[in-house]
Amino acid sequence: MSDDTKFSAYAHPEKLVSTEWLAANLDAPNTRIVESNEDILLYDTNHIPGAVHIDWIADLNDKTIRDYVSPEAFAALCERNGITPDTTVIFYGDKSNWWAAYALWVFELYGHTNSKLVDGGSAKWKAEGRELTREKPSITNSTYPVPGKRDDARIRAFYHEALAHAEAKKPMVDVRSPGEFSGAVTHMPEYPQEGVLRGGHIPGAKSCPWSTAANPDATFKTAEELRKIYTEDLALGDADDIVAYCRIGERSSHTWFVLTYLLGYKNVRNYDGSWTEWGNMVRSPIEKSV
Amino acid sequence: MYPGTLDSIVDLFEHLPDEEKRSLLISYADSADKYGPTEGANYDLEDIRKDEECTDTVGIFLTVDEAEGSASEFKVSLGGEVQTLTRAMTSILCRSLAGATPQEILDCPADFVPKIIGAELVRQRSQTVYYVLSRMKGAAKVYLARKRAGETA
Repeated sequence: MSDDTKFSAYAHPEKLVSTEWLAANLDAPNTRIVESNEDILLYDTNHIPGAVHIDWIADLNDKTIRDYVSPEAFAALCERNGITPDTTVIFYGDKSNWWAAYALWVFELYGHTNSKLVDGGSAKWKAEGRELTREKPSITNSTYPVPGKRDDARIRAFYHEALAHAEAKKPMVDVRSPGEFSGAVTHMPEYPQEGVLRGGHIPGAKSCPWSTAANPDATFKTAEELRKIYTEDLALGDADDIVAYCRIGERSSHTWFVLTYLLGYKNVRNYDGSWTEWGNMVRSPIEKSV
Repeated sequence: MYPGTLDSIVDLFEHLPDEEKRSLLISYADSADKYGPTEGANYDLEDIRKDEECTDTVGIFLTVDEAEGSASEFKVSLGGEVQTLTRAMTSILCRSLAGATPQEILDCPADFVPKIIGAELVRQRSQTVYYVLSRMKGAAKVYLARKRAGETA
């Protein structure tokens, strides 16, 4: 199946570009390619020519409070990366685009919806032997008006909202690995600082690991395959109010992107406090399956 | 304080400005494949594990030359998704711990890691930088346990 055919079956095909398209459009006007990774040095090692680097901690997260940067800091980030409100921002990265989807989601909190993901991210670009460089692009600062306020309500759920959601028995998707969902593990083996005091899942949440939406080459599964997973097996309805969560909000950003843009669900929120908040909160209701 | 030549590497990194530190780490990461296992070679201990959510596949291969004062040599295989810092630490450890005994490796404190990496890079989701050391220590521990069991059998 060609990328065009695959993309055209998604609800919002305009939110994806293929590696082939990107390779032919590296200098497309009014566009900025952005790499966002878990691997802090990966961009320095090599990246797509012309790409800038946006770091999920240093650039997007507040240094003190667990929250995102201020609207002023977001505008400054865009300006130093040559991004204006009209710029199409094309995100890609490692780990099957976890952090690229996370950055795209954070950009939407500030109202910057003119964005796309590269299907397959870094892994596919590299597997295809496409051009890479260590050269950082020379960027002319842009002007980016400070956004009035973040649009948290539309696509982000906070703890009290997630709690009300669970109590109302609305659809909640836990995208972590089965061991995390069941409560068998309280942190991933090498992420001990993301440990929690209690393991398990939010009552009523259904387990659907983020990876079920991805192919081994990091691309998204087809619309038909995704509908089978989320619409048929999870029984998510068009009008449902849906919350997705994981451990710190990046894997659920991937699922949020799938549900919102590939399948066209209109009311999807990412509970980015996720299990590191829920599993540590006093008196949070928890279900275990071990 | 640290086994092998780790002391001198720690000392070098501690005196480098951040930008040069990053460049040197990338240089070490680039050379990580040199320390991969040799096909067909026999090792005293092999431990290969895959963790898809965190670190990808990492294989630890240990050889100990008892005729040379229990001198150890590590080879490490790394999956494609292993982080750059972890690749860098693999090179540093394979090179600097060559010749150390399993007990010295087991006793090696992990506090050199932030001295090499720098405070800026030791953060959430970069903790896999400790991973290779912990796996090497695990291999050394198993090797010593097997050796003791063999001696008492």
